[in-house]
Parts: sequence; C-alpha cells; structure tokens
Amino acid sequence: MNNDKLLVLDNVTKVFTKGQGFVKSKIEAVSRVSFELELQPPEIFTLAGESGSGKSTVAKLILGFEAPTSGSIYYKGQPLEHLKGKREFIRDVQPIFQNPFETFNPLKKVQNYFHDTERSFGSPPRGQYPLTERSLELVGLTAAEIKDKYPSEMSGGQLQRASIARALITNPSLLIADEPVSMIDASLRMSVVNLFKRLKEEQGVSIIYITHDLATAYYISDRIAIMLRGQFVEIGSVKKVLDNPLHPYSQLLQSSVPAPDPRDRWTEDIALSDLEAREYTRQGCKFAGRCPRVMEICQRQEPEHYRVDDRLVKCHLYR
Amino acid sequence: MAILEVKNLKAYYITHKYGRSSTVRAVDGVSFEVNKNEIYGIAGESGCGKSTLLKAVSGLVKPPLQILDGEVSYNFSDESLNILSLNDDRQRRRLRGVRISLIPQGSMSVLNPVRRIRKSFEDVVYAHLDVSESEFEEMVRDHLQALGLDWTVMHTYPHQLSGGMRQRITIALSTILRPDIIFADEPTTALDVVVQRGVVQLIKKIKEEQQNTLILVTHDMSIHANLCDRLAVMYAGEIVEEGDVQTLFSNPKHPYTSMLLNSLPRVGDSSPRASAPGAPPSLVDPPPGCRFHPRCPFAMERCRKEAPLLRDVGNRHRVACFLQEGGQ
Ligand SMILES: Nc1ncnc2c1ncn2[C@@H]1O[C@H](COP(=O)(O)OP(=O)(O)OP(=O)(O)O)[C@@H](O)[C@H]1O
Ligand SMILES: Nc1ncnc2c1ncn2[C@@H]1O[C@H](COP(=O)(O)OP(=O)(O)OP(=O)(O)O)[C@@H](O)[C@H]1O
Ligand code: SF4
Ligand SMILES: [Mg+2]
Ligand SMILES: [Mg+2]
Repeated sequence: MNNDKLLVLDNVTKVFTKGQGFVKSKIEAVSRVSFELELQPPEIFTLAGESGSGKSTVAKLILGFEAPTSGSIYYKGQPLEHLKGKREFIRDVQPIFQNPFETFNPLKKVQNYFHDTERSFGSPPRGQYPLTERSLELVGLTAAEIKDKYPSEMSGGQLQRASIARALITNPSLLIADEPVSMIDASLRMSVVNLFKRLKEEQGVSIIYITHDLATAYYISDRIAIMLRGQFVEIGSVKKVLDNPLHPYSQLLQSSVPAPDPRDRWTEDIALSDLEAREYTRQGCKFAGRCPRVMEICQRQEPEHYRVDDRLVKCHLYR
Repeated sequence: MAILEVKNLKAYYITHKYGRSSTVRAVDGVSFEVNKNEIYGIAGESGCGKSTLLKAVSGLVKPPLQILDGEVSYNFSDESLNILSLNDDRQRRRLRGVRISLIPQGSMSVLNPVRRIRKSFEDVVYAHLDVSESEFEEMVRDHLQALGLDWTVMHTYPHQLSGGMRQRITIALSTILRPDIIFADEPTTALDVVVQRGVVQLIKKIKEEQQNTLILVTHDMSIHANLCDRLAVMYAGEIVEEGDVQTLFSNPKHPYTSMLLNSLPRVGDSSPRASAPGAPPSLVDPPPGCRFHPRCPFAMERCRKEAPLLRDVGNRHRVACFLQEGGQ
C-alpha cells in the first residue's frame, strides 16, 4: 500500500493538555490532518499559518519526535511507528531548525559537527571528509570557509546554510525545515530559499517548508496548506491559494503580508486573535470569532473540506 | 524644533580579555533629528548597530558599551536636556521611565517569567506614580481596553500566552505612562504576519491616542513602508541614507538601500531572484573608505580610500555615497 508515495498522513490527530489552573484545557494541536507527497516528482510543500496553529507539531509527528494520538503516518509505504529511530529513516528524513545559533553549540567548532555526522553515517578514509565537502559545495560554502570557525564567527545566513549542509551529508529524500529563514534578514533569506529550490530541482530532494513568510513560500513551493488551530483550512497549489485565497482565514493571512511599498499601507483594522486556548476549544468553525463573513451555522457546526477550484477548503461558504 | 537631536554619536563596545582589548565600533558617528509626532524608522541588516543606537540614545549605556563622542538632546515642551551629561541617576531613571520608553528587542526579556502580568504593571506604575490601588486598576483597565486587550491577561503568567499576546502586553506596559517618545526595537520580528499586523495596528492606535513620537527599529523594510514617515538606513555602524519614506522606496539613492529593496520577494512574483551578494563586515575592523565598497556593484577607486559624508541632496534627503557627487 502507498508504494508510490513518499509520505502519507492519514487523518492524524495530536492532543495536548495545555495550561494550568483556570486556563487548563485539552487541545487538538493537530486535528484530522491528511496529505500526501508523491515519490516522484520531488515537491516543496509549504505549511503556513498563524503562530501556535500546529505547524511544528506536524513536523515533529513526521520526524517521529511525537506520536499521533490517532491516525497514521506512512513513509515510503511503511508505517512510521516501525521506522522511528531506525538509522535508515534518520538518514533519509532530516530536520532543519529555525535558529542556527541553537543548532550549533557555541563552544564547538562548526566543522566538528560535519565530521561527527559523516563518521557516524559513512566510513570516511582517515582525515578525509568527501561527503562534508560535497554537501558544503551544494550550499555554496567551502571547507576553508568553515575551517576552525566557531558559530559566533559566522553570519546568520552562513550558519543556516551550514546547518542545511549538515542535513545533506546523509543524502536525504525529505527535509523538514521548520521556519528556516525567520531568524535571518530578508536580504539573506533569498540565499537559503534559492538553495532549497536548487536542491529540489537538481538533487530531487522533497521539502516540507514551514514558514509564515508567504512571499518566500510563493517563490519556492508547489503546494501550500494553510493551518488554523490544528486544522488544514485550505490546501492547493501555491499559485491558486495565494493569488486567490478562498478561505476567509487564508484571505486574512494573504492580505496581512506587508507590502514593501509606502503607497500600499494597511488601512483596514482587523479583529485580533483571542486567547489561543479559547480558539482551540471553540465549537463550530475555529475562525468564527474573527471571521468577517461569519454565518449562524459557523458558530455551531464544524465545516467539512469542500473541493473548490482544484483545492480543499474547510468553510461553510463553499457548501 | 526637533524633539530629539543626535550629533556625531559614537558608541563602542570595548572589552578586555586575556590582556587584549577589542573595540566594536557599533555606532560610529551618527547624526539625525526626529520631529515631534513623527514616526522615524531605522533599518539595516542584523548587526549594523540599530539596537546599540537605541540604547545609546535612550541612555541605557553600561559596560562594555561606552559613549566616545557626541551629543543626544531632548527638547520637550517644558524642558530640554542632554542625556549624556545627566549625571544624576534619579534624573535619568525618571526620564527613561516617564518621558521616554524603550520596548526592547525580544518581548520575553521585559516580562518576568515567574510573576503574573499584573505584577509587571504594578512595578512600572508604582515606581513613577503615587496612585491608590483603585486608581491603578482603573488606569490599567482603561489602557488595556483602549488597546483591545482583555483584563483576564492580568492574572496570567507570560508562558501561558502566545508570542503575539506577550508582545502586545509588552507594548501596553511600555506605554501605560504615556511617554513623549517611544523607542521600539524590532517589535514585530519573529511574529507571524497576522499578529504582526495586529501589533502595527496597536502601535498606530497608541500614537494617535497619546500623540507621541515613535522611533522604530527593524530590519523589515515592509514594516517601515507601512508605518514610518521618515526612514534612516544604517550600514556597519553608520547612517548611509535618510529621507521621507516615499522617496526612499521610490527613489533610493544609496546602492545599499537599493540592494535591500531588491532582495525582497513578493507574493505574486516567482520570477528567479538572485540573493544579495556578500555579508556585512566586522565592526572590529571595518573596511577603509566607504564601508559598503566590498559589496557595492558601483565601487570606484575613490570609494576604497575615502569615506563619503552624509550629505543633503535636497528635500531633507541625505545620502552618503560618492555617486551623488558625480563620482570622481
Ligand atoms: N509538548 C506540548 N505540550 C502541550 N502543548 C503543546 C506542546 N507542543 C505544542 N503545544 C501547543 O500546541 C499548539 C500548536 O503548537 P505548535 O508549536 O505546533 O504551533 P506552530 O504553528 O509551530 O507555532 P509557531 O508559529 O509559534 O512556531 C500550541 O498551542 C502549543 O502551545
Ligand atoms: N555586549 C556586546 N559586546 C560586544 N559587542 C556587541 C555587544 N552587543 C552587540 N555587539 C556587537 O555590536 C554590533 C551591533 O550590534 P546591534 O545589536 O546594535 O545590532 P542590530 O543592528 O541591532 O542587529 P540585530 O538586527 O541582529 O538586532 C554587532 O557587531 C554586535 O555583534
Ligand atoms: S466557516 Fe464561517 S466563520 Fe469559518 S471561515 Fe468560513 S465563513 Fe468564516
Ligand atoms: Mg513552530
Ligand atoms: Mg537589534
């Protein structure tokens, strides 16, 4: 089953207990999420959405760092619970984190991370690190540039490229990049996202790109899923979803990307989000409290996924 | 008259380690003026000295940061003072708490993690005002309400709140005493776009209501485009261009400003876009001449040797680049 799929999430839910005292509540940080990535062609799939909407939890479920409360995940046709923690899987699915300064210990030379990873996954000839050299070359760095350097001696953009290079040593099929550019300047972001594009096109690597930077998502990805309080509210091709968003939350998200143009300022006020736990535990549609197009049914009944214009939209407007 | 005047400010980090001293020239000869009621933006890449400039201007100078030169004067309606010559600690604290307020980078650092939000408000209000508990509650309730925040947040601990909510509370806390000038350091960075928009909305609202002056630091050019009246672009410890925000975005004159603007991808545009070349220099040993010359596509012989001055090219638009002087 699922032999032509790289990754399948089938109705995956993750429940957390949050808070203490009077704000204590059970939330579905990931709620009945389903999607698939094909083995071929490789794809960049973006997960976007407000802070606290469950994006990192999806990443942790795919990496096997958290187990689903219900539902199943398959990687290359096999159930994830059989693969978790196995060398082959760790080698094939590599994470990239938000803050490169936390990925690397400040007291350890950057090159040592490469050498350790290469030694534990391959058997390099003594004192030689061909995989390190190859992966550094892929991200546009050279061994000389990281030689004897500590993390503090590199720029944020350089260090993030180094952390991607380290993930590439094992020649993975899938990268899970959780906000890889949010800590680095816009001017350096392009170097990272251009790298992702090249990895997909030239090395056939698929990437799950988690971000709230919709401009870079538009630039590099094929498909996008918009998350809101644990749910996928809209999934489709990135061009369709961002050029013409259908779900009122996707519309809010898209119109909230600030334009780098003083003639194009926000003029309308938006309703600000309520306490997170309150939205998570809401009946009906999770967006009903803030939605400019809310209807009576939205308050009491959860919308299904409706297929509209080649995408799925979870909103009563499209019944 | 300008409410804030900064002249030739130099603020360096000077450290001594193992008998060697090292100097980071984080703010190196910066001059600018901010008018009353204006939103003045400061842009530039990470590490160019934006936070250091805010610290120096707001009088938060402690070792290893040192002021080597310059003047910082405030002209309020009823008093004028030079913050660098205030030697009375009490005076400086009063200035910082009541007349000017700094929203520092990273909202967690202001909110004490082991104290409820209410305590943080009590600390700020009682330190500067002699009010009763009921006056305190009324004041905070009104302020929160004006900003669209729920009173229940007062009973929570910071870790129970989302990053966006914490940032909104930090802003509420920094403006409860209605300061004349607000300094905000990266108030929207690392927040998602919807929350970011909420924070921008909040800042606009406070400014409208309290009629104060805002100095906004962020590397995000789009936020500057959305909020500022005038904008200064910093590179390697210096201001390289300054002007009204319309002019700066439609007609940037410094090659660095153009580079910053061109590197921004936009929704709706997936045409290939090259990454900006190179990285900012070290401030321990900045390049001679124009500090931008190693990354500048137009660098000339002169740029490698001489440092261009920040000169007015008309309409209060200032640029530090030899191209503006006809090259040679
Ligand atoms: N281990 C945990 N225990 C309890 N609650 C958790 C845990 N991990 C995450 N949560 C909660 O689950 C929800 C989703 O969190 P998650 O980190 O997945 O969101 P996110 O979309 O990645 O947000 P951000 O953009 O801020 O990174 C949040 O309310 C979060 O507080
Ligand atoms: N306490 C310190 N000791 C020594 N150097 C410092 C110290 N704090 C900052 N610096 C250095 O001073 C320079 C300017 O730092 P600053 O924090 O002002 O930059 P910034 O423009 O605010 O950057 P960011 O966008 O990353 O916040 C940097 O080179 C930085 O490494
Ligand atoms: S279901 Fe209703 S509340 Fe939810 S987004 Fe659609 S219209 Fe708005
Ligand atoms: Mg996350
Ligand atoms: Mg800073």
